[in-house]
Amino acid sequence: MGDSQPRRIEERLARELGLALILLALALVQVTLLIGPTGFSVPLLLVLAIARALVGVSTAEPVRGLIRGLWWAFYGGLGLDIMSTLPLGSHAAAQLLAVAIVGLVARRFAIERSLVSLLAVAAGTIIYEATLYVVTVPFDSDWQRYVLIAVLPSLLLALIPTLPVVAIVHRLTRLSG
Amino acid sequence: MRDFLDDRPLRLRRDRPSDQGYWRVVAVAIGLVLLSLLLTVLDRQGVISPARLAVREALQPLTGWLTAQRAAIETWWATPRDIATMQSRIAELEAENARLTSEVLRLEQARVENIFLRQQLAITRAHPWKVLGAEVMVRAPEAARRVLIIARGAEDGVRVGMAVIGQQPGAPPALIGVVETVGARTADVLMITDISSQISVRLLQPDGAPLGLMQGQWQRGSRLRVELIDRNTTLQVGDHVVTAGLSGALDLPLDLAAMPAAVPIGAIETVRQEGQRQIGEIRPFVDPDQVRYVWVILSQEE
Repeated sequence: MGDSQPRRIEERLARELGLALILLALALVQVTLLIGPTGFSVPLLLVLAIARALVGVSTAEPVRGLIRGLWWAFYGGLGLDIMSTLPLGSHAAAQLLAVAIVGLVARRFAIERSLVSLLAVAAGTIIYEATLYVVTVPFDSDWQRYVLIAVLPSLLLALIPTLPVVAIVHRLTRLSG
Repeated sequence: MRDFLDDRPLRLRRDRPSDQGYWRVVAVAIGLVLLSLLLTVLDRQGVISPARLAVREALQPLTGWLTAQRAAIETWWATPRDIATMQSRIAELEAENARLTSEVLRLEQARVENIFLRQQLAITRAHPWKVLGAEVMVRAPEAARRVLIIARGAEDGVRVGMAVIGQQPGAPPALIGVVETVGARTADVLMITDISSQISVRLLQPDGAPLGLMQGQWQRGSRLRVELIDRNTTLQVGDHVVTAGLSGALDLPLDLAAMPAAVPIGAIETVRQEGQRQIGEIRPFVDPDQVRYVWVILSQEE
C-alpha cells in the first residue's frame, strides 16, 4: 500500500471536503474573532495559503506543493466570499492570484529565512488587496488613498501571524511526511 | 489538520529546484481563477445567490456566537486589573453617577412642573380665572387648625381672601381653601375643611340655585357641611355646591370679596334633619389634605 497506489476517488473527495470545511471554519474565525476595533481583520486565510505554498515549494515535489497552496487559497477565498458582501469568487480569485505569483517567485528562495516569508506575505497581501480594489472600487477612485487606508493596515496585520503560521505549517508538513 | 495538508506524505527537498512542471501550477491557477470568475458572474446574475445566502444563514448562529465571544474578550481586556486603575475608574463612575442623578432629578422636576402647567392651562381655558400656580410647602403642624403654607406671597400678587383651588385626577378644579395671611413670598391658606372656614355657597338645583352657608367640620370628625338659608327649599343628595361670591358681588369691604362666584366645591353626599334645619354633608371634589400643588385665583374676568 505505497504512495504510488491511486486512492479511491471517494477518499480524495472526503479529504477535499474536510479541508474546505476547516478553511470555512477559519474564515468564520477571521471575520468574527480576528477583527479589530477599527474594522480591519487579520488576513489569516491568505497567510495560511501563502505559507502552504511556500512550504510546498520547499519539498521534494514543489509543483504538487504549490498546487496544494492554490487549492487552499481557493477554498479559503470561497469561505470568505460566503461571509462577505462581495460577489462569490472575489476573494477566491484575489487569493489565487496572490498565492500563484508569490509561490512561483519564491520557489527559488529558501523559506527557512524569515525575511523570505515576510516578503512573500507582504507581496501577496499587496496583490490580494490590489485585486480586490479592481473588483470592488471604481477605476476613477483615488488609489493612493486606498493604499493608505486599506492596503497598509492589512499589510501590517498580515505580517503579525506570518512567522508562527509558516512555522506551524512547516512543522505539520514534516510530521505528515 | 495534518491529514489535510496533502493527499500524499511529502518528502522535503534536498536538491536545487528545477523549472520542470511549473506549467501545471500556472494551468491550475488559471483554471481556478476562471472558476472563481465564473462564480462571480453567476452570483451577480443571481443564479447561485440563494445558495450562498442559505449557507450564510445556516452559519448565522455560529457567527453570532463567535462575535459574542469576541465582544466578551474585548470587555475582559478593557477591564482594569490593578487597584489604582480600578479606584480611578470607580471615582470616574461615581462622578458620572452623581451628575446623572442630578440630571434625572432636574428632568423629574421639569416633568412635574409640566404636569402642573398643563393643568393650569386647562383650568384657565375652562374658567374665566386668572390663576397663579403655587407649591404647597408645608402643612401647619398644629392639629387644631387645617392650614397649609404655599410658596407664593404678596410679591406674586397674592392677597388675603383669594380663593385657592386644587385638582385631582378625574375631578374638576375645586376650592380647597382661602388665603388667610400673606407674607412677602409665602401665604397661609385656611382649608375649607377647617371649622373656622365659613363661605357662602349656592346649590345647583334644577329649579334654582339657593344660597347656603358652608362650614368646615374637620375638628368635628367630618369634612364639610352646608345649611340652606331659605328653609322652604329642600336639599337633594347629589346637588353640586359652588361658591356664591356674595362679598364680591355686593362689593363689601371684606377679605372674602376676592372670592369669585361659581368655583366648584363638591356635591351633597347625605342630608339630615336637625329640628327645623336641613344639614347637608358635602363630599369635596378635591381633598385639601391630598394636594401638593395649588392655584390661587388672582382675578376673574367679567
